[in-house]
Amino acid sequence: MNARYTVSATPEAQPAGAVSQTMASLPATFGPAAGTQPGAADVLVIAGGPGWTAEATRVIAGGARGIVVANPRPEATAELAAAADAAGAAVVLDLRWASNAALVGEAADPDARDAARSALGTASLLDSVATAAPGTDLQRLLGEHLAALLAVCGPLDGVRVLRADATGYTVGGRLANGAPFTAQAVLTAARPAGVDINLYTTDGGVSVQVPDPDAAWPAEVRVTGTHGELLLPTLYESAHRSAWRRLKEHLRAGTRPDDLTGFARLNDLYATLAVT
Amino acid sequence: MSQHAAPADRPLGVGILGAGPVTQAIHLPALARLQDILEVRHVMDVDSAIASSVAARVGAVAGTSMDALLADPGVDIVAICSPHQFHADQVIAACRAGKKAVLCEKPFAMNGEEAARISAVSAETGVPIIVGAMHTFDPGWLAAEQNWGDLPEQVHTIRSSIVLPPNARFEDFATEIITRPAAGQPDYTDIEVIKSALQGGVMGLAIHDLPLVRRFTPDFEQIEVLHVFHVRPFGYAISLKTPTRVIELRAVMNSTWKPEWMFEAIGDDATLHIDFTPSYVQAGSAVATITRGAESSIFGPYGHNGYEGEWRELAAIANGHRPAPSAQALIDDLTFALAIADATVAGAAALHGDAANKAGVSA
Repeated sequence: MNARYTVSATPEAQPAGAVSQTMASLPATFGPAAGTQPGAADVLVIAGGPGWTAEATRVIAGGARGIVVANPRPEATAELAAAADAAGAAVVLDLRWASNAALVGEAADPDARDAARSALGTASLLDSVATAAPGTDLQRLLGEHLAALLAVCGPLDGVRVLRADATGYTVGGRLANGAPFTAQAVLTAARPAGVDINLYTTDGGVSVQVPDPDAAWPAEVRVTGTHGELLLPTLYESAHRSAWRRLKEHLRAGTRPDDLTGFARLNDLYATLAVT
Repeated sequence: MSQHAAPADRPLGVGILGAGPVTQAIHLPALARLQDILEVRHVMDVDSAIASSVAARVGAVAGTSMDALLADPGVDIVAICSPHQFHADQVIAACRAGKKAVLCEKPFAMNGEEAARISAVSAETGVPIIVGAMHTFDPGWLAAEQNWGDLPEQVHTIRSSIVLPPNARFEDFATEIITRPAAGQPDYTDIEVIKSALQGGVMGLAIHDLPLVRRFTPDFEQIEVLHVFHVRPFGYAISLKTPTRVIELRAVMNSTWKPEWMFEAIGDDATLHIDFTPSYVQAGSAVATITRGAESSIFGPYGHNGYEGEWRELAAIANGHRPAPSAQALIDDLTFALAIADATVAGAAALHGDAANKAGVSA
């Protein structure tokens, strides 16, 4: 029987990462640490607010084997990655949309990234719309939005902000094959928050609808082509749980995730864009 | 006004200028569903073989002369389905011929001067004109309009997204087409080709929904194009704004089998989402969804599409049962479309050089 990992979370991380309910959905693997001293837990959960990379580095120095960062905003991660490597700690990023398993799943499972990779060579347009509540921090939303696009579609070139105001933003650029992409944010209380990604190709495309992680409603990934339309298997798992499940696998296997490497690419892009 | 009086129980006579794919695959099938109120009596095309063949399908007179069609006393309503550049002069001629009503395919003019001439002649002759912006006659749209309340005032974002297969796919579902325009291989290294494609994209495709966009854009006269992407093989991604509205237009025409034709108007607390059926086929109306908070009301689908809707409206106007549409509204729709088309084409040069995109960053 495998060991159960003890978990401690900062007060900010509890709501941001839905820690209690996520831990409760993996009860044989994770359980709350006794007492309130974070240093005693195997896994630390921190919120991804400003300075989270420094906080995570301190946590690693304190001896944690695993770290979950709830909804991290883009920050330079090089020092943290070096510290994690040196300590053999696993750092998993719990991203609002990009951590959804429908976007990037297990190696053998079909996911949006695989579908998009097959389609990118003949892409003619990528059109994405993120929806969030009025009053949402646009700069933060842009980071979450770009994280999902990078996870599914890979490199984006020539990215720039075309407009930004109190109702949202529009960002444009090009895909690797030169086809244009647009990413728009719309703030409204009349639609569920989430992100839609539509990649159009010469004979069909890939359509991805990703919900917020506050419930286990599934993302939908549809692949359209000459064969018709294929709905990939729906996964009733929130992005939070997907992130934690990956942490479980890395802790069990003694491996380290590449979350920070991918996040560095996002940070490089994000640092140049301002929508506020 | 009309030079003849049809018996009350006799269908109104329709004369069609231009017998190409739109006439064959859209208007004749729509009119076939309305035989109790409308009857095609005269078909004109510059190609006499096409005119004869299309006219024979409906038992109409065939010809190559617009003047002969306009002089035909059996023609109460003139439908102008010719290439865009002929629209203005033909609308004016139909008005001067004293017909009961004129349907002109969009756009009804190619510049403001033509629009002003048409407006003046329509006012002078009293002949009502309808522009074939079919989505404005779609029962799904009309039901939404009846129920959206204050939505137009609170909308801040408008999106029109059109994904279509080649026209031939749906033409072939609708009818048996004779002759199609030859399709070429555009040279997109030529900026003039891109400009032409974008002009055609706005005035030939986006224009279907620009009257809907304008309905939610009170300050439409202050439209500004922020950025334009040309989409290959045919399409566009155009970002627009006015002082109070964000407008995003997307279109892709490729070889997919799956059409998507969506219009959205989004406010802080309410949204309108409409899925339109593809053109050409008689696939019923759009479905409109109005959402306020977490509650949605769905309107449609209804049994007919906007093309049939515009013919029903035309018959009602010609029979005096409905008022003629505002000429100013038609001119405003056209002015709005032309402003977007002109600004889009103007932005194409920068797009071609890709200078703007090189200023961006990569990841």
